[in-house]
Amino acid sequence: MNMFTLVLRNISRRKGRFIFTLLGIVIGMAAFVALLSLGGGMRAEINDQARAMGANIIVTPADWCTFDQISIFTGESLPASLQEEVLDQVRELDGIFAVPYLTQMSAIQNVPVAVIGIDPEPMKEFSRWEIADGQYFESSEQHGAVLGAATAETFDLGVGDEVRFRGEVFPVIGVLESVGSIDDIAVYLPLPVAQVAFEQEGFISYIGVQVEHLDQTDAYVAAILDVANVAVNTNDQLLETVMGMLGSIEVTLQAIAGISLIAAAFGIINTMMTAIYERRREIGILRSIGSTRADIFKIFLLESGLYGLLGGILGSVVGVLISVFAAPTLLASFDQMMKGASPEASIEPMTFVFAIVFAIVIAVASGIYPAWKAAGLSPVEAISYE
Amino acid sequence: MNNMIIQTHSLSKTYSSGKLETPALQGISMDVPAGSFSCIIGPSGHGKSTLMHLIGGLDRATFGDVIIDGVKIAGLNDSELSDLRASKLGFVFQFFNLLKNLTAAENIETAMMFSANAPKGAKAQRVRALELLAMVGLEEKADAKPSELSGGQQQRVSIARALANDPDILLMDEPTGNLDSQSEKEVLDQLFKIHKDGKTIVIVTHSSELAAQAEIVYEIKDGRLNDVIRKGGTNE
Ligand SMILES: Nc1ncnc2c1ncn2[C@@H]1O[C@H](COP(=O)(O)OP(=O)(O)OP(=O)(O)O)[C@@H](O)[C@H]1O
Ligand SMILES: [Mg+2]
Repeated sequence: MNMFTLVLRNISRRKGRFIFTLLGIVIGMAAFVALLSLGGGMRAEINDQARAMGANIIVTPADWCTFDQISIFTGESLPASLQEEVLDQVRELDGIFAVPYLTQMSAIQNVPVAVIGIDPEPMKEFSRWEIADGQYFESSEQHGAVLGAATAETFDLGVGDEVRFRGEVFPVIGVLESVGSIDDIAVYLPLPVAQVAFEQEGFISYIGVQVEHLDQTDAYVAAILDVANVAVNTNDQLLETVMGMLGSIEVTLQAIAGISLIAAAFGIINTMMTAIYERRREIGILRSIGSTRADIFKIFLLESGLYGLLGGILGSVVGVLISVFAAPTLLASFDQMMKGASPEASIEPMTFVFAIVFAIVIAVASGIYPAWKAAGLSPVEAISYE
Repeated sequence: MNNMIIQTHSLSKTYSSGKLETPALQGISMDVPAGSFSCIIGPSGHGKSTLMHLIGGLDRATFGDVIIDGVKIAGLNDSELSDLRASKLGFVFQFFNLLKNLTAAENIETAMMFSANAPKGAKAQRVRALELLAMVGLEEKADAKPSELSGGQQQRVSIARALANDPDILLMDEPTGNLDSQSEKEVLDQLFKIHKDGKTIVIVTHSSELAAQAEIVYEIKDGRLNDVIRKGGTNE
């Protein structure tokens, strides 16, 4: 006979209660792990997008808020409030390669789609685009549209088809190779054509910049700020902002999961306190056959720790299953924003280990008070109880 | 005296709950010779169980001391006292001695878990548990849960468990108090056998037949040692 067997026997006597108490911690842990891995998935996705964008610096109107900045990564409609002259001012600076974006929302077959006005030749080089089908723009006045790979596939469109924005019809002249970023989910028009179509003459949304010497990014930023009244963000800063926001969403969700874990902890405390009451006599018997207070403490702590171990393992497995099977549904809206690649839950082994350790810590912590109570019970008091 | 395995000196116990003080024991001084078979008798509520608990170190005295085999237990800390219980003492109470979710054999093995002089390892413990069960005539009930045993059988398992650590002293608080005469006889037969093996046995009992068979009878009245009757008739 050893302590572990003793604890197992105690648990198996009250299977129903054990299972319900365990369920509390399983549910809490599952929510926790699911949110953790979903958050990790979104994070990885945004990182990919940022890498694929190719710009080192983003020049935006001075009054853009964080949400506008995030939209650069997600392909939402952007306010076109940057004077086109700014582009020329920026382009005059040494060591800078700048391209304009005029991002507008429109729709194809009633599905929202980003329509982006671009400077054709520089943009092709900037984004390292290849033509998969048809042709690229021959001039910046050309009245036609080039489709991102995913757009062409989603709407089953190709060269010779037509798209219609703001009542104007544009023939599809080419389709881009997939680049694995939000570039794939847009429709491109030459900038002047887009400006006319969307009545934004003289304006653009933002400017993407590649710099010659990456280690001098700060100097370039200063130079740009010198020539124009704009906001300048490095790609990394933007990424940080986005991650920061995502982080606070995650923290909120995890706080909710945390609350369910706290509820589960009280479930354990409650179960263990009840167990002490029911097992007073047994505690007395154990004391009379020579167990110390420390032994009693260990037995009770082991029992609550077991809730943590089992709850942690089961909860993590359920949480991972939820994030794997429910990710596509849960992240549907996110998925829509990021058609470039579908987000997947990212499950790291460390998350698993962390979750299980965390569950054990919670369960053991919940068990301390009951165990201490049990250990403090005087043997006589326990024996006298019937 | 050296052959006194249990000694108490002016042992007193007062229970206090709030303002209410119950003097349960007052100045008990008694000596129990090693290897003796003795009974504690007395009217209900006069302090017999309290005395047993103090002797067994399950409760602390308000005044006075208990000396087990030369060791003053007032000076022991919790783990030393637990060690003493595990190695020198075996208890049998009146009711519900067994852990009800363990089988008879497992109950006995649990006692071995806490004692230094008991066998270690599942196999060795099982062998010893079966030996002890055989000794009380319950070998075939090794895997029975307490709920599947009669009251007398449960008490015999309790006796087997009390012997698991090969203690020198067996303390029993009305071990046959809730048994019919047939079961009582079974249990007492075991006790006499154990006594012949050299154990010191102290039994609290209301049974005058059992008391008549004891070598020494201590009579407790109003928390005091009223009389000590030694076999041979010399009253103190
Ligand atoms: N835990 C306790 N708290 C307060 N008073 C107690 C406690 N235990 C026992 N007593 C009191 O101490 C006195 C002696 O009790 P004890 O149990 O020792 O009697 P007893 O001789 O064993 O009686 P019985 O033959 O009925 O078992 C009684 O008056 C009892 O009410
Ligand atoms: Mg009593």
